[in-house]
Amino acid sequence: MRRSSAYIPVSTAAALLVTSSTLFFVFTCPWLAVNVSPVFPPCVGIVFLFVMANFIMATFMDAGVFPRANEDEDKDEDFRAPLYKNVEVRGVQVRMKWCASCHFYRPPRCSHCSVCDHCVEDFDHHCPWVNNCIGRRNYRFFFLFLLSLTLHMVGVFSGGLLYVLDHPENLWELHTAVTLVVMSVSALFFIPVLGLSCFHLVLVVRGRTTNEQVTGKFQGGVNPFTRGCCQNVQFVLFSPITPRYTEKLSERLPLHIQPPFHQPESHKLSQTLPIKSLEEVDAPDSKSLTCPPPLPPKPDPVLLKNHLAALEESLLQSRALMLSGHNPLQTSESPTKVLYQVPRDQMGSRISPLVPQEHASEPSLLQPENHANALTLNSRSLSLKHSSRRGSQRAEIPHASQSVLSGRTGSLSYDSLLHPEGVQAAFLPMDPGLSHGCVDVQRLPARNCSPVFMHINREPSPVRYDSLPKPLMSSIQERREPDDKDKPLQDSGIYDTPSRRSLPQDLRGLSLSRGPTPPAYGSREFLLSSAAYGYGSRSHLSSSSSSSLTRAPRTTGSPLHFNRSLSPSFYQSLDRQSQLPPSTLPAPLPTSSYGPQKAPTYIRGGERPEPGL
Amino acid sequence: MATEFHNLQELHHSASLATKVFIQRDYRDGTICKFQTKFPTELDSRIEKSLFEETLKTLNCYYAETEKIGGQSYLEGCLACATAYIIFLCMETPYEKILKKISMYIQEHNEKIYAPRGLLLTDPIERGMRVIEISIFEDSGSTSSSGSSPSSSTAQ
Repeated sequence: MRRSSAYIPVSTAAALLVTSSTLFFVFTCPWLAVNVSPVFPPCVGIVFLFVMANFIMATFMDAGVFPRANEDEDKDEDFRAPLYKNVEVRGVQVRMKWCASCHFYRPPRCSHCSVCDHCVEDFDHHCPWVNNCIGRRNYRFFFLFLLSLTLHMVGVFSGGLLYVLDHPENLWELHTAVTLVVMSVSALFFIPVLGLSCFHLVLVVRGRTTNEQVTGKFQGGVNPFTRGCCQNVQFVLFSPITPRYTEKLSERLPLHIQPPFHQPESHKLSQTLPIKSLEEVDAPDSKSLTCPPPLPPKPDPVLLKNHLAALEESLLQSRALMLSGHNPLQTSESPTKVLYQVPRDQMGSRISPLVPQEHASEPSLLQPENHANALTLNSRSLSLKHSSRRGSQRAEIPHASQSVLSGRTGSLSYDSLLHPEGVQAAFLPMDPGLSHGCVDVQRLPARNCSPVFMHINREPSPVRYDSLPKPLMSSIQERREPDDKDKPLQDSGIYDTPSRRSLPQDLRGLSLSRGPTPPAYGSREFLLSSAAYGYGSRSHLSSSSSSSLTRAPRTTGSPLHFNRSLSPSFYQSLDRQSQLPPSTLPAPLPTSSYGPQKAPTYIRGGERPEPGL
Repeated sequence: MATEFHNLQELHHSASLATKVFIQRDYRDGTICKFQTKFPTELDSRIEKSLFEETLKTLNCYYAETEKIGGQSYLEGCLACATAYIIFLCMETPYEKILKKISMYIQEHNEKIYAPRGLLLTDPIERGMRVIEISIFEDSGSTSSSGSSPSSSTAQ
């Protein structure tokens, strides 16, 4: 349920547009038709109709909202399953995040809008001027609205200018005065609208969404979604319009499913061989799917198995990680060395059993021989991280990761989390397992791990912290905060790993300058959005530690409405770092000097707080 | 008494939902609509692999057809612009037409192939085109003595 204040921008925009244009047609066009050209007013009229049509479509058309998933789509407890799942899109690893509100892993390019509280396909941004999300289904209308509005403004302004120049002597006469007012309104909004149109033109040509551009996803990497300049434009303007997903579907014919069920021939053959008692019952081999009798009323374990199978080995591995991650709670007091930083080629399958060593109590105990048995990590990124911070101390593989990968119950060295180094290390074993499992790590190049690892210290979400005691969790948060500041971020060139370095300067400055003070919602949302993989918000994390770390049932919102409403000049500055005149759009848009002091002010007055991840 | 109960059970073969398998999207070629054709292990004992894969391939072909950018989509776009999008109120888009075809295809296959095997395909459009949900039913009348109940499942 949107607040009534959400309707103010859209009402203002609509009113201004309609009123100004109507006044232009009534007061200026008659003279223009006579003295300039009879074609001029109809042209402006057609453009105006086009503007209104696109405005209405952008406002009322469903952006591509995903319906919420049924309960049975994921029977697991939310906190057990990994927060991220990696998929490969045209050779580039893309991370799909679990949406706690909608209960599914967000498809690539999908994002959750906190204003509308739903996930949108190919999410661009939430536009307050149309009070709607802009996504796959209505992006073209929004884009065409911008282009046509720019053209309309040019037409209105030039027509008004011709009129005023021809009537300089009686500027206070009604027609002239009205024309002057309409011209002023056009001029006032022309620069921001033109700027936004150019921005979106660039986005369309490059095959990016506003969300991806603003969060810097492709700054250092490859955009897997681009099809080339012309194809991108073609896709935006001429791809078939997908239907609504949330529409009520027509009633289908009822289908009766009545046993006995057919079985595949191969299965029948295998069944006839062993147990004769099965022949009495002409039923499918459903027993293999269910638990041993008695049949549970809700086959949760069965669904769990199916879910694992459906998501292939990756979920299986990650669940194994999860399950064994629970066990070390009892052994948390035994500080064990956390191992990582291993050669790229070596994968988890070669991890030697470390169970007996897991309970070693000396933190100084190093396991150099386990280097060969460690997880494959992005050695470059890790070496930079750890060489700068550890000095002589070597980074080692977490015991838990090895044990988990080998399927044993390991003691995740949570005690090592008490050390700043351990904090980082503790994330490491969980991440690959959580995100895509060991098998994927094995299959894919080591770079595959880097997105996950890159963001360990910024986003704790891949790690399950729900099982940790609160003091430990808070200590982890505190210790991670300084890590965020001085960790050099690498540009791994992967889609979902924007590094801080790859950000525009002013944005980085913005985020860093807000570090010590409670960041504004805009920056927090910006930093913590599902698309902003590169940023972490410290104070925010401390307040939402547990839920942000796992697939807790928490609404994750898109920060884009904040960013979007920060004004077109915000985007332009991010994109091109151009010197633009201050935005003169009326409230709630801020001026272009969106320094830390201004943006927070605006954002706090904006939409409701976003709890974050 | 026990015998009577046993006879009743034999007479009332009923299906109950055992589990669901979810076929996820295949994003290797981008965000185009395409589902993974990997045969789930849960269905190994329920349906022939070839049948399942044929169904999936056909569905993928249909979806590829919906997203094709060609003459028809250009016409649709230009016509929509020219009529200020009023055409959307009057006519069905080509995408919707193919979706109807897909819906009929799924319904038909459910009736002829999947329902007799105790399976049910759910149209992915109901799940936002994210997954194909396959419900697996079992003969509850034959599994447990405690299971007395639901009558034959009616799925829509």
